[in-house]
Amino acid sequence: MGNIIQLRQLLAEKFPGLRTRAEDLEQCRGTFQPTGLPQLDELLQGGLAKGGLTEIVSPQQSGGGTFLMCSIFRQAAQEGQLSAFVEGSDSLDVTQFEEEILSRLLWVRCRTAAEALKAADLILRDTNLPLVLLDLAGNSAAQFRDITATNWYRLQRLVEQTSTICVVLTPRAMIAPAEARISLNSRFSLEALERDAEQLLSELKLEISSERSRIVGFA
Amino acid sequence: MFAVVLIPNFSLQAVLRHEPELIARAVALTDPELSKLGIIQLTAKARSEGVWEGMTASQAMARCSDLVIKSRSPAQEHAATEVLIQTTYTFSPFIESTSPGVCTMDLRGLRIVEDETSAREWAEEICKALAQFYLDGRIGFAVTPELALLGANYRRATTSSAPAFIVSKPVEFVSGLPIEILGLPAETLETLNRWGIGTAGALLGLGKDQLAQRLGPAAIEVFDRLSGSSIRPLKLAALPEIFAEQMEFENEIETLEPLLFVLKRFTEQLSRRIGLLYLVVAELHLKLGLTSGATYEAVFKVPSPTGNAEILFRMLHTHLENVRTDAPVSSLWLAAKPGWPEAHQFGLFETTLRNPNQFAETLARLEALCGPDRVGTPILKPTLRPDSFRMKPPEFCRSSGLKKAAKVKAARFRRCGLQLRRFRPPVAARVEFRERFPALIRSAVCNGPIVDRRGPFFSSGNWWDDGRWAREEWDVQTADGAMYRIFRTREKPDQNGSERRHRGNETDLTEAQSQVKSASLPRRLQCFVEGVYD
Repeated sequence: MGNIIQLRQLLAEKFPGLRTRAEDLEQCRGTFQPTGLPQLDELLQGGLAKGGLTEIVSPQQSGGGTFLMCSIFRQAAQEGQLSAFVEGSDSLDVTQFEEEILSRLLWVRCRTAAEALKAADLILRDTNLPLVLLDLAGNSAAQFRDITATNWYRLQRLVEQTSTICVVLTPRAMIAPAEARISLNSRFSLEALERDAEQLLSELKLEISSERSRIVGFA
Repeated sequence: MFAVVLIPNFSLQAVLRHEPELIARAVALTDPELSKLGIIQLTAKARSEGVWEGMTASQAMARCSDLVIKSRSPAQEHAATEVLIQTTYTFSPFIESTSPGVCTMDLRGLRIVEDETSAREWAEEICKALAQFYLDGRIGFAVTPELALLGANYRRATTSSAPAFIVSKPVEFVSGLPIEILGLPAETLETLNRWGIGTAGALLGLGKDQLAQRLGPAAIEVFDRLSGSSIRPLKLAALPEIFAEQMEFENEIETLEPLLFVLKRFTEQLSRRIGLLYLVVAELHLKLGLTSGATYEAVFKVPSPTGNAEILFRMLHTHLENVRTDAPVSSLWLAAKPGWPEAHQFGLFETTLRNPNQFAETLARLEALCGPDRVGTPILKPTLRPDSFRMKPPEFCRSSGLKKAAKVKAARFRRCGLQLRRFRPPVAARVEFRERFPALIRSAVCNGPIVDRRGPFFSSGNWWDDGRWAREEWDVQTADGAMYRIFRTREKPDQNGSERRHRGNETDLTEAQSQVKSASLPRRLQCFVEGVYD
């Protein structure tokens, strides 16, 4: 026990600002930003966590993961927020957005998941943009082998010192330090391509599969 | 009343300005342009070691083994002259760049002429401002510019620590002034010494006509200077609009570190120089001279004009990290364009960048990581050809760059359906058509029977020029539930401009089909998977 206390003191001296207790973590968290999407806000009890990672897991193709990410971005842009959209496979179809929406977007077209993670790291260190969306749904399983859990913890450490919202779209659950993990289990038919976007949002089957230390509070 | 700011050993000080750690050491300056290569100027430490002007470099090294030999640099002298002008300009608008290292100031309208104490305080402030740029100045005050220069020279010759000398009684000052300070040619000085004339007063006592007879017309000019009988008008100097620092390296530079070392000094000096005018740096212009004769140039527009040298240096550093030149660097030139600090009145609900300069640096890093065409804000091209856009640098800190979001609210979710995840470039596929409908697909991204389909949707464009295109699109769903957009075309898919696109109803279809036919489709159409709906 004494050793742990000494270790904490040593770490606090060496790395000022480092959290060594779970209680410290709680103090940093607790503010959420509503996405403006009622289904998502209700599920997340307020909205996306500021200073936290939110993982959206979309295991199957055509499950609506990209649609949800783009809806979050679109809603933020409509509120006048600036966003960064970092892609691991350069697949975003920007022609589906209006110019007014795109003028608030920093689009980073990476080729691999590792490159996208580095780009997200740079943007999160910058702290200028309040919303960072990281899309890794199009990357192959082989590329994820290079990404270890420590990468995600490092990203989490970066985010939690800011009020930035970071949403990551992944094909399978992989972000252990995520503040919240939303799983998508929707299935659509071709008729969905003609349906109104708001209607489609209501048809998304969202499920919170992991929730870490959420404290009620609204931005 | 006039003041003259004199920089003693100007050529040496100009060279040592970017290496201030050498000022306290033994340093001697040589001039490669002179036929007889000898030391022309030296530091106090070198003099105390027994080194004198006129010695050759090897003689001087024999006296002082730690001696650092530097070469005279006209470029750095030019920059130092500009620094002198800019510094003195902040104290008086009527300034003259009299000669290298000498600046004359007209003090009319300034209160400092009223008493000596305020003049001395004022002189100390000028010296303090010059010291920021590692320049050591001496200042003379007098009723004429010539006497003020003599006063500054006199202060330089004496060992007094006070930087200023005020010529309050010109006649008494001149009468006791040693003739060595007058800057006369060596032959004239020798002649005067032979005559037993040791002071300027004794020289004046000879009379103007007598002096002219014996020493020639040049003596008249000296006589007029000393007598202070007339005041010459100053040739007023204009303040330079571009602030520049430059250096020619004695040794070629092949790595980044030494270049960054000099650049850090340059950015500090430039931001201080511009700061003297209560302005900030709005733009930086970097020029690297290469040993091959080529030059590398780059212009950096500071997103939010700043006087912070650290931010300016980081901008250069981030850029240079990714620069590779064909030959080593032989010279460096950095210019700064001054601007006003930005002042904004933001709206209550307006969002903008907290630190635009930091953001610019992050963008540069992202471009280095991903490539310049892969980072930015997409701009849609005025065309209907699929996936037509171009990238441009984000303009988040300019209100003109951000379009009004209110317009979008009216058209909220006007688009339907799921988002398309594009394959760039489209993936080639083999599609089996049965009764004109796609029934089976084989490609690198999807395989198997097609269980549902929508289409065809025809689109075409640019039929009036060589860039014409035509395609037939289908939305298909495979057995695993995934939905893809596939298309058939005769052209190799690219991302250039287009004009027309038809979707849906029967009338459009007929028209589009005729367009496709008129675009002379090839004998064999190629199929591609454009993307997956997600």
